[in-house]
This record gives sequence, structure tokens and C-alpha cells, in this order.
Amino acid sequence: MNALLRYQTALLVRSQRWLAPVLLYAAFVGVGVQWGQPVLDSLGYAAAGLLPVTAWLVQLCVNQEPPAARAVIAAAAGSPRAHLAALLAGTGCAGLLGVAATAVVLLISRPAGTDGAVRVALLPAGTAGLLAAACCVLLGAAVGALCTRPLLHRRGWSLAATVFASLLALVTGGSPANTAVTGLVTGSRTGTVHLPVLPFAVAVVLAAAAAALACRPAFLRG
Amino acid sequence: MGRRYGLGGPWVLRGVDIDLPAHTLIRIEGANGTGKSTLLRLLAGIDSPTQGRITGQRPRTAYVPERFSAALPFTAAGYLVHLGRIHGLRTPEAADRAQSWLARFGAADHARTPLPELSKGTSQKVAVAQAFLAEPELLILDEAWTGLDTAARDELDRAVAERVAAGATVVFVDHDPRRLAESVDTVFRIERNGLRTASGARTAQTGPRVRIEAEGPPGAALPAGLPGAPEHTPTADGGVRFTVAATHSDALLCALLTARPPWHIRQLAAAPGPVQDPAADGPAHRTPTPEAP
Repeated sequence: MNALLRYQTALLVRSQRWLAPVLLYAAFVGVGVQWGQPVLDSLGYAAAGLLPVTAWLVQLCVNQEPPAARAVIAAAAGSPRAHLAALLAGTGCAGLLGVAATAVVLLISRPAGTDGAVRVALLPAGTAGLLAAACCVLLGAAVGALCTRPLLHRRGWSLAATVFASLLALVTGGSPANTAVTGLVTGSRTGTVHLPVLPFAVAVVLAAAAAALACRPAFLRG
Repeated sequence: MGRRYGLGGPWVLRGVDIDLPAHTLIRIEGANGTGKSTLLRLLAGIDSPTQGRITGQRPRTAYVPERFSAALPFTAAGYLVHLGRIHGLRTPEAADRAQSWLARFGAADHARTPLPELSKGTSQKVAVAQAFLAEPELLILDEAWTGLDTAARDELDRAVAERVAAGATVVFVDHDPRRLAESVDTVFRIERNGLRTASGARTAQTGPRVRIEAEGPPGAALPAGLPGAPEHTPTADGGVRFTVAATHSDALLCALLTARPPWHIRQLAAAPGPVQDPAADGPAHRTPTPEAP
């Protein structure tokens, strides 16, 4: 699996296709997160943006090989493993992006609630921010995995479904991403840190289920 | 097993039952669009059957697609090292083998060329080299010879013979009916979505042949399962004269020299003329003919 991950990551990095989603995310964070803003607000904003970006990165990884090269890898490692490696590589890159964004937000934000009266400790805030980012990355990975090959082959449908599902995952009450982000933003008003542990656990389960479905050999034509 | 695409699509293959024993070279025939490639993809584990299943432990598998013009952001050698690692090799070993296989197919000069800049033929050489890197137990060749130059085609024939001699199963599709004709063990033909055996034994010997005179250790029998199933006749002075298709000569020499105890090679020459009766070719056959020195 290590070799497969290395191969998929090298493909993504060298192809420079990662530039578009990463630059878009950088712009999104750059516009929304300013120096000296309340830390929990900014963490919530940065986490929310990760969801569609992860879906995009995952789909880049899944579709970055020409069919012949994919068949060669599938024969060597088995189709499910090869597909899982692509999903994991995209998710891993998005995870790194999330960690970097969280670190930047922690560095430049004001460690206080929205009204500026209550101090917010950086360590619990950072932990909550990382967990929220993880929720969004995992849900984005699930959306990315479900809205592309091998479940959706047509590019247009795939794009429409990804945009729609990402939006839905962010705004539907009760979705782990929505719960985690809302927890950060509402916590910011009172200066309390809610650790989104339960949403994280649900997001892990959802992402694992999506990956298991997308890697079913019956769907994979290599 | 059977395979169809889509929920209610027509069956591409149905009721296919195929066994892949070790030490076997299998050819799949069939008209265009009959499902040869689908069958190969099922055997390689790239695709999975809609109906039925593939049993047995998954062997170390390598697959060579017909047209491999991979626009991947790697150099030829870099790509092969990645593939070698995926096959389970360590990086230095993968790099070594990548170099030697590229050299074998005459593409050593292109090791540092990015894949998108390679010619169609050289890309195909990379695809072929990829398959042999990890000494696969199951090798699937989907018209792998297409696009290769003559030297590389011959080299691929020899490499395939070596793999079979080493115990692998090789399944191939090729448009040239003479491809490896002298060494194919089983020919299957796809007809009306099913598979039937087209012929069991080796077909007529057509290509060039090589004569090898060797001397075994005193009292030793012939090593079992010699590559290319050579004809062998005892010589007057206690040696054995083997006649084998040129494709298999390297593999046969290797088998003789590495047998335990090893054989001694006395003489090596191109065999004169074609052989008389193809039916007389078999490992158990022995013709006592008087030998001239």
C-alpha cells in the first residue's frame, strides 16, 4: 500500500493538477481569515472550505491515470487496492492542507471570543480546529469518492453531483461537517470551545463506508 | 464465469471456464470484439466477473496493455521504479531491474526521457519492461507485440519463454497466428461468448531452431520439464543432442547449466532445415539415431 500511495501522491504532485484546488482554497482562506480575528470563527471558516477542496483533490487522484496505466496498476495490486490508494492519496493531501491552514489560523488570529471579552486558550481551540478540519476532510473524501468513477462515469454528472453533495454536506443540520463548523462558530460567541468528537467519529464511519462502496470490485472495471 | 457491462447489458462472456496451470503458455483467439480483452482483464484481476468467480490465491500478476502511451509525469526509469515498488521490490532492486529490462528491449537510452515524450514503440517497451520487473507468476499480454520493432519482438518472445520455463503462466492475445506457435501449450478460441479449446498440442515448427549438444552427469536422467519441450537424441559418445525452437534456446541452456547436478554444454549450433513431423515433438520422445561426430 505504501508503494501505491507513493505512486499516486507523486503523480498528483508532479502533474501540478493540485495547484487549482490548493490555490482556490488559499484564496478562500485569504479572503475570509484576517489578522486579529477571533480564532474559533476563523477555524470554522477554514474547516468548511476544506470539504469541497478535498472532494476535488480526491477526484483528481482517482482520475489522473490514463486507462492503460490504471489497468497496469490494477493488475499488479488489485483494482480495489489501487482505487483505495487513490482515495487515500487525495485525502492525505487534503489533510496536510487542513493542518497547514489550521496552523496559519492559530498563528494570526486573536485568541478571544467574538466580542473580545473572553480569552480562548489556543491549545483546545487548535484541537477543536483540527478535529473540525478532519470532519470536513473526511466528509469531502466521502463526497469525492461517491461522485466519481466507478460510481459516476460521466464528467458532467460527476461535477454537478460533487458540487451539490458538498453543499449539502456543509449546510444540512446534523451532518458531521455542519455540526463541527457550527460548534466552532457558535462557541466563538461565548468563548467556549466545543470539541467535535462525536461528529469526527461519525465522519470516520461515513468516509470508511463511502470508500468501501467505491472500492467494491463489482464496480471497478479497472 | 461471465461478464456483462451495465445492469441489463448483453453478455460479453458467458459460461467461461478456464484453468491456468503453472509452466503454461496459453493463447486466446477470437475475432475483433468477441471479448478477448475482457477475458484477459478478468484473468489479470483488473475487472471482476459479473457471474461466477476466480478461485485460487491471487498470483503475482503483471499485465501489458495493447497501447501504452501513458501521459504520466515520470521518466521511463522513474515510472518503472514506482511499478517495481508496487510489485513489492525494494527501490534499489527496482531501479537495477528497470535498467536491465529497458536495456534488454533496446530502450536504455530513453531511461531518463519523460514518458509523454517517448515514441509509441518505446512507450510499449516501457510497458513490457514493467511486466517483467517483478518476475510475475501470471503474465497477461494483450497484443503486447504491437508497435515493437523486430528486435524487441524477438526479445519479448524469448522473455516470455523464460517466464514459462521459470514456472509462470503466460496468457496472450496476438494477431499474428505464428506468434510463439512452437511453444504454445493451449489455444482457446472465443466463439459466441463462450470459450472452447482450439487445439491442444504445439503446432508445426516454423521458426529457426537451435541444436545443443550437452553431456549430463554420469547416470543422471534428463531434468524434468525442460523449456520448449526440446527433442532429444542420445549421441554416440554418451551426450544428448537437443533440438529446440530458437526462442527457447536461452531458457534451455539456462535450465541445463543450472540443473542439479549441472550439465556440460559441448556444442551449440543452428539446426539445419525444418523438422519433419510436428507430432513427433514431445518431451517423452526419443529417437535413437546413429550420430556422426
